[in-house]
Amino acid sequence: MSEMIQSKFDRKKDAQSMGIISKYDMRNPWIKILYGFIWFCMILAVLVCFIPPLWVMTSALKDSREFFSVPATIIPRSWHPEKLWDTWNMLNFGKAYLNTLSVLCGSLVVSLVCNGMLGYVLSRLKPRGSKIVLSLVLWTLMLPQSVSQVPLFKNFLSLPILGINITETYLPMWLLAGANAFYVLVFKSFFDSIPQSLIEAARLDGCNNLSIFFRIMMPLSKPVLMVITIFTINASWSDFFWPYLVLGSRTELYTVMVKIFYMAGSTGYSEDIQVVALIFTIIPPAILFLFFQRYIMSGFTLSGIKG
Amino acid sequence: MQVVTRKKRPLGKRVAHAIRQDIGAWVLMLPSLIIFTFFVWQPLVNGLILSLYETKGFDPVRFVGLKNFLDVISESSFQSAVANTFKYTLWSLVLGFPLPILTAVMLNEVKRLKGFFRFTVYFPSIVPGVAAAIMWELIYHPTSGLLNSVLALFGANAVPWLQSQNLVIPCIVIMMTWKGFGSTAILYLASLQGVNQELYEAAMIDGAGVFRKFWNITLPSISGMFSLMLVMQIISVFQVMYEPLTMTDGGPNNASISLMLTSYFYGFRFYQAGRAAAVGTITFLFLIGLTVLYFHLQKKNDS
Repeated sequence: MSEMIQSKFDRKKDAQSMGIISKYDMRNPWIKILYGFIWFCMILAVLVCFIPPLWVMTSALKDSREFFSVPATIIPRSWHPEKLWDTWNMLNFGKAYLNTLSVLCGSLVVSLVCNGMLGYVLSRLKPRGSKIVLSLVLWTLMLPQSVSQVPLFKNFLSLPILGINITETYLPMWLLAGANAFYVLVFKSFFDSIPQSLIEAARLDGCNNLSIFFRIMMPLSKPVLMVITIFTINASWSDFFWPYLVLGSRTELYTVMVKIFYMAGSTGYSEDIQVVALIFTIIPPAILFLFFQRYIMSGFTLSGIKG
Repeated sequence: MQVVTRKKRPLGKRVAHAIRQDIGAWVLMLPSLIIFTFFVWQPLVNGLILSLYETKGFDPVRFVGLKNFLDVISESSFQSAVANTFKYTLWSLVLGFPLPILTAVMLNEVKRLKGFFRFTVYFPSIVPGVAAAIMWELIYHPTSGLLNSVLALFGANAVPWLQSQNLVIPCIVIMMTWKGFGSTAILYLASLQGVNQELYEAAMIDGAGVFRKFWNITLPSISGMFSLMLVMQIISVFQVMYEPLTMTDGGPNNASISLMLTSYFYGFRFYQAGRAAAVGTITFLFLIGLTVLYFHLQKKNDS
């Protein structure tokens, strides 16, 4: 099962898929020029994608005098990696990292359990009335969230039925992770691909719905769980709007994103420190992506957007 | 067929059986459904209702019909927000719609380093939104930014990118395109890699050239995605908010304020929840109209 999911972007497949230009076409000099042009464009794309963050990162490590010189130097003359460590300590980034980590862990658990179970029911159990739920979820994917900001915030101020105020905690972010229509559909389309015979066999052996979910589906679902895990981690790492609104003035709870947003808005920090702080926000997702690239890519194919 | 041959059980037992069968499934759905209900669907409906009320703080006080809408529409910041939102959408379609398609097609052609190119193209998408916005703010910086430094190399005058009323929206859209084009390109690429290779071989045997293959095989194989991606892009750009919030705070002189940012300002800066909901509702209705139109056309195409 996992191979099936991952193979879409495997190296083997890359070699097989030869695209439009075949070896035969390459004999034509014009096509050769075209191929060269494609390479030129791809290298240009690499530059465009990498230069902005690279420039920002290297300029972060210039000494302050060079940083503020006009016009700015494009290739830095000075190199001060110790600025990283100083800024980390000065701004207490360790605390912000821990805060983000707790937002992230809670969101992850809620996201996997809630969206996973909903996807499973919609794909496999299909009780009476689940069609309505499925179409509601599908619509949620397409619906703009533009109207709901204020009422949603109101719900956080006083939870429906319970009436508890959950702002200035991480609960809102955790709960919001449990209602992601996109993740539900990714789960559903994965579960759709698991053969029905496996489930029937388990049922004959006396499993009920719950134990089929936890003992058959979950172990089989490692690839999709990985995909959703990485998506959720990335989303809660980058999430800014709700932490920003919900945490209000509780500075000791600020996540990394909220912290750098406030830094960028205030005049209390010099710009070169802001830039160093930016490095801290880019490195974790970059590392995550480097190691789990395959899963992120396969998540796109799982989402089922096809021609 | 089987149901007919089976002996019918009494109705009460059948209902009990059905409930027992379904109840487990509903229990599994429950946590997610509760969250969806209270944090997605109910706020949406509440927001639509709230737009018809006079509000105090976040609470509705008195039904006022369309007053919020009329108030909002007569404000100059709303009018510029509407114009700006269309500008954002237009610019992002011009810059951001063809770029992922071209990138995907080219990415599919390179024979070597494909994995590396895919990684680089996707890299901007993993930079967190706020970080990307701040980063580009520094690149556009009037005195110490990268762009003006490069211009200075050629002896050109510094351009006030984000401080110029005419340039600010294209500049923000460039940042958004930079951040978003890679992930869309990967979606197209996934679709391109699903194209049956035998089609290309058959076309080659028939003597089709590169352009012919591109026009008759590659393009039709991804063109089905175009309309969906177009609608998705319009929906997401139409709700642009945190980019102008982070980079310009709607300025200079409301030149980059968007509908959602207006709604945010009403809701959380001026504490006029009714007006915030009214702006949200206007955005919502427009986008719903667009989505319905899309599905309608899609259906027509299919039949």
